Amino acid sequence: MAAVPEPTTPEPPAAPPPPPAAGASGAAPTTGRAEAWPPPPPPPPSGRPDPAFVADATVAVRGASVWFGQKVALTDLSCSFGPGVTGLLGPNGAGKTTLMRAIVGLLRPNEGDVAVLERDPHTDRGVQRSIALVPEDEAVPAALSARELVRYTAALHRVRDRSLPDRCLDTVGLVDVADRKVRGFSKGMRQRAKIAAALVTEPRILVLDEPLNGADPMQRVALIDLFQTLGRQGRTVIVSSHVLHEVERLAGRQIVIIRGRLAAAGDHRAIRDALADRPRSVLVRTPEARRLAGHLVGMDAVRGVTVDGNTVVVSSPRAGELAELLPVAARQAGARLREVRPLDDSLESVFRELLR
Amino acid sequence: MSRSTALGVPVTAPAGRRLSTPFTALVGYTLRACLPIRRWFGVLLPCAGALLFGWLSASDSRSAEAAFGDVAEIGLFGLVLPLTCLVIGDAVLGADIRAGTFPLTWLSPVGFGTIVAGRWLGGWIVALVSLVPALVLATVVAGVPEGAGAMAIAGAAGSAAYIGLFVMIGAAVRRAAVWSLAVVFLGERLLGGVLSGIAQISPMWESQQVYAGLADDHGGGLLLRTGTPNGWSAVVRLAIVAVVTLAVASWRVRHLKPTGGDE
Repeated sequence: MAAVPEPTTPEPPAAPPPPPAAGASGAAPTTGRAEAWPPPPPPPPSGRPDPAFVADATVAVRGASVWFGQKVALTDLSCSFGPGVTGLLGPNGAGKTTLMRAIVGLLRPNEGDVAVLERDPHTDRGVQRSIALVPEDEAVPAALSARELVRYTAALHRVRDRSLPDRCLDTVGLVDVADRKVRGFSKGMRQRAKIAAALVTEPRILVLDEPLNGADPMQRVALIDLFQTLGRQGRTVIVSSHVLHEVERLAGRQIVIIRGRLAAAGDHRAIRDALADRPRSVLVRTPEARRLAGHLVGMDAVRGVTVDGNTVVVSSPRAGELAELLPVAARQAGARLREVRPLDDSLESVFRELLR
Repeated sequence: MSRSTALGVPVTAPAGRRLSTPFTALVGYTLRACLPIRRWFGVLLPCAGALLFGWLSASDSRSAEAAFGDVAEIGLFGLVLPLTCLVIGDAVLGADIRAGTFPLTWLSPVGFGTIVAGRWLGGWIVALVSLVPALVLATVVAGVPEGAGAMAIAGAAGSAAYIGLFVMIGAAVRRAAVWSLAVVFLGERLLGGVLSGIAQISPMWESQQVYAGLADDHGGGLLLRTGTPNGWSAVVRLAIVAVVTLAVASWRVRHLKPTGGDE
């Protein structure tokens, strides 16, 4: 797969590239508030930005509800997306794909609305110049070659640069097989062909539904780099994935949807911190493990302590308080701390707890 | 010399062919993607049937005009024309929607009217190169070569209207083939057979009347139906049917919620 270099003189995006937003890839994690579901998120404390929203939003979802007959796909969902990479997370059937389809205009919410660049993507054909979708489903025109597919999309978007389709195919590593029919492609190759077809429109807003499905490890790394590059260029990149550790790598900001509702927003650590009423485990490595454990046991913020050799695993219902108490306890115990790290800070654990 | 785009993609690829206009791309897509080999069999099979009808007519002991009149009414305009157009008309839009590949086109800045017109034109081109020659050949084989021109015009105008109709049905309902067959055989054949009002907007009856009016001196007159426009008036009527159906299809596509193939 061709490397995607940092553009030396990046072409300015359609709008001036704002500073890396909360969700911008590579940006420092936000100190966002996050709410667990249920209950529905309370209003944010005054003075603190709501992590479900970004200041420089290109996509705004306002109270969107979508239902198909008796099945409710989204319920009163409000959030926004801005330049940079944002991960859209949730278990199967959570409503991620429905939200993405609403964002690109393929469906209109039954209630509420979705605005892309302050326009309605369902009715305003002009806004389609700025959006591209890479759908998860396998549907591609099988009779076309990858090159024909990309050139078709380019022609519909009135792309002037005739070499751009081949460069996009090169970017996703398909230029050597560009004349092969898409029907003969593996799932990962089809996905990359669809990504090339999306890239050729040079979208300001790129919506990718499980784009890493079927990609081998090398391709995953290359695609993640590509998405991050696009995010750094000031494009709004919305990526859904169930491969959570990749989303952690890919997106600084995440929107978590569960059962059609906004479950949490922010970076995954902020989301995890918001679940303050749940026990959290911290691993402490110290040669004086038993002594430290003895000091920790009596503390209010500590629910349980396990000692194994030089390792102490502390379970706490209040992670913030533990963070303050641990150095104090270590000093009192005369323990030298070699390592302190949360055991359950991964997105998987956040997910598991949100699902409870 | 190396350039880079906003995507940061290095320029190493050759320039390639010039990119088409959206409308040309839509027509090209229709011809390349909407009509795979299997669909072509579905198109060419009734065309072969048209030739068989021509031979059948030639073997009739009556005059060539009289025999061909019967065969044209029942076989060519009653079966071959609608069935071939159904295969084409469903392929160019309805099948694309059902397969989940339509969002690729829908998610573009191209207007819905242009999309529908491009798809329709692609389908009509297919009919012009397959169905119309088959109908003309059938006329010649039947021993009525003087009616070939009228048959060509009837086939072209009838297929234009029919493909518009089936494009509209494909955009409107999911089981487009079933609805299309119902429209042809229940609506046009049965009701249109007794009600002039329906025959006047029926591609089947009007295309027959195009032939009847234009080939009046060569046996076409046997097919003339009172109360229904014929000849060039019927061509105009078919053009109106095509325009109206395409307008409805465009409106329908505007309100479509295209889904992916897995949904």
